[in-house]
Amino acid sequence: MSTLHVLSHSPFGDDRLTSCLRVIGTNDALLLTGDAVYALQPGTAPFNALNARPLNLFVLAEDAQARALAIPDAARAIDYPAFVELSIHYDKVNSWL
Amino acid sequence: MPKSLLIISRQAPWSGPNAREALDIVLAGGAFDLPIGLLFMDDGVFQLAAKQDAKALQQKDLSANLQALPMFGVEDLFVCGDSAAERGLDLDGRSLEEARVLTAQEITALIDRYDQVITL
Amino acid sequence: MKFAIALFSAAHAPSSRRALLFAQAALAGGHEIVRLFFYQDGVYNASGSVVTPQDEQDLPKQWRAFVSEHQLDGVVCIAAALRRGVLNEEEAGRYQRDAVAVGVPWELSGLGQLHDAVQDADRLICFGGA
Repeated sequence: MSTLHVLSHSPFGDDRLTSCLRVIGTNDALLLTGDAVYALQPGTAPFNALNARPLNLFVLAEDAQARALAIPDAARAIDYPAFVELSIHYDKVNSWL
Repeated sequence: MPKSLLIISRQAPWSGPNAREALDIVLAGGAFDLPIGLLFMDDGVFQLAAKQDAKALQQKDLSANLQALPMFGVEDLFVCGDSAAERGLDLDGRSLEEARVLTAQEITALIDRYDQVITL
Repeated sequence: MKFAIALFSAAHAPSSRRALLFAQAALAGGHEIVRLFFYQDGVYNASGSVVTPQDEQDLPKQWRAFVSEHQLDGVVCIAAALRRGVLNEEEAGRYQRDAVAVGVPWELSGLGQLHDAVQDADRLICFGGA
């Protein structure tokens, strides 16, 4: 089975991203929403952690746009219809509340 | 076959009702005889610290409720070894000895095995 | 595809807005929502007592309209709601409280309704936190 992990907290001063990356499987994906998109801030430890390994990475487009963050080539920007489709493509959704 | 549900409890026991409300989901599932798993991760591992004193904060004793889990039919109990090690928590004296200590790899497999997950 | 959507954050949290937009997109995509379940601070989304400034998004009102329009099953966890003072008429009467915050289309019920929705749905999607 496969899991779509969803983060929404800023990776700075919070351990959700670290814990998520520790347990995410090779068939899984990661979707950054809300303040979790700050992990795309270039040159930071969270950004490097995302790039340190192959990862199916998705970003909720409106959250990146609102925060003036560029979507890196390795990630795919999605809207809500795509979010719904993504949650169907993966067998389960694990939101790190 | 009923669908299985894994609850990942990430909150310390004394940070408001979150840890208890995560446990309530588990207990409700156990009451309905559903296949429920509970994994303690990140600050959630502090729920398993020995010799906690709920009375010091005029709280209800969450540890006592955790002890009752096997009686409520919830036997799939796990704790993240890395989270405990990072926090200097000695799991040898943990209050819920039924909880199996898992590596990160084992947690990946655990999440994979369950039908649905709630991480609180 | 059948979705169960659980919401754990208050109406002013960004995650509550994301939950609503996800739910709207799911229905627009031809999918079914078997139940909305509001737990923890998510119960505030069902409160009719929230007053939102006119130039801000009124999420409780939007949820109410969305659930009514599509005749969805909107369940608010009763224990979480009592703890947070989000009572319907029946509970306000039971506990002798003046303030009634929840009415149609919401139903106050137990955590069993969350498990029931998980069993019924193909996917459980949770929103909460930040």
